Amino acid sequence: MPENEKTFKPLDPLLHSELRLAVMSILIGADSADFVYLKAETGATSGNLSVQLDKLQQAGYIEVTKGFKGKVPQTVCRITEHGRDAFAAYVEALRSYISAGNR
Amino acid sequence: MENNFSAENSLRLIAETIERSRRTIAKNSGKPLILWGSLVALTAVVIYILWSLTGSPAWNFLWFAMSAVGAVAMRSMMRNSEKVPDTEISRTLGKIWMWFGIFSTGFFALVWAAWGVRCAVGIEGPLRVDLTLVILLMMGLCGTLSGAVLKFKPITVSSVVATALSALFLMVMPDGSPVRILTFAILGAFALIVPGVILQKQVK
Repeated sequence: MPENEKTFKPLDPLLHSELRLAVMSILIGADSADFVYLKAETGATSGNLSVQLDKLQQAGYIEVTKGFKGKVPQTVCRITEHGRDAFAAYVEALRSYISAGNR
Repeated sequence: MENNFSAENSLRLIAETIERSRRTIAKNSGKPLILWGSLVALTAVVIYILWSLTGSPAWNFLWFAMSAVGAVAMRSMMRNSEKVPDTEISRTLGKIWMWFGIFSTGFFALVWAAWGVRCAVGIEGPLRVDLTLVILLMMGLCGTLSGAVLKFKPITVSSVVATALSALFLMVMPDGSPVRILTFAILGAFALIVPGVILQKQVK
């Protein structure tokens, strides 16, 4: 087996996207976050954010709950255990790339 | 958005996003500090004036009115402020100050009940409990813990300094004097308002 295959762990393609990674980074430290907050923190457009949230939800990384707060519609996102594990594995893989680069 | 970014950029993005989120939450912690600090300082001054004019310590019951006003103002502030998610930090801060409220109100009620019992059974002499000092120390401790939880040194430092200064002020003032209540004005100003303003200005 080549040396780099032993050293480098595969990067999760679902997380290796700027916006999806930013969303997961926010959700990893919060109980939950609503769509408006995620949009403000990431600077993404509503359309793009919706698409990326949908991808994360389909992968089982986040749960999306749609409801109302008073009369205002509210979309709340929450990271799942599977999402936490995937995020941890992704960070671990990044570390392997960086430590290999520093050798 | 660009998909092919390097490992370093990914880690930087994670760190920056987490830090930005932390700062948004920290920024929102500044407003309650300013609100409660102002209320505490203002109430202390009002009680001092009324107590001095009338000679009655019963004006201390205004602290309960202050709590009610503060709770209403907090609700209004939360409704109008930027929505931030609940985190371990915000929950811990909430619990620290909730227990401060429970302990100080409970202790106040306990002293009041003890005074009632002493009067009922005819025990003479003053009840030797320094309520102001106890609440002051609890408030200073909660402020210091809040600074530690937020990892924001100005709060930790100002809480320690303000608690020390106000405790010193309290100990040199004569027992039973209304001027002792001004301790809370010092504490409110330096342990709550000052760090609240610094937090608002720095975390942008």
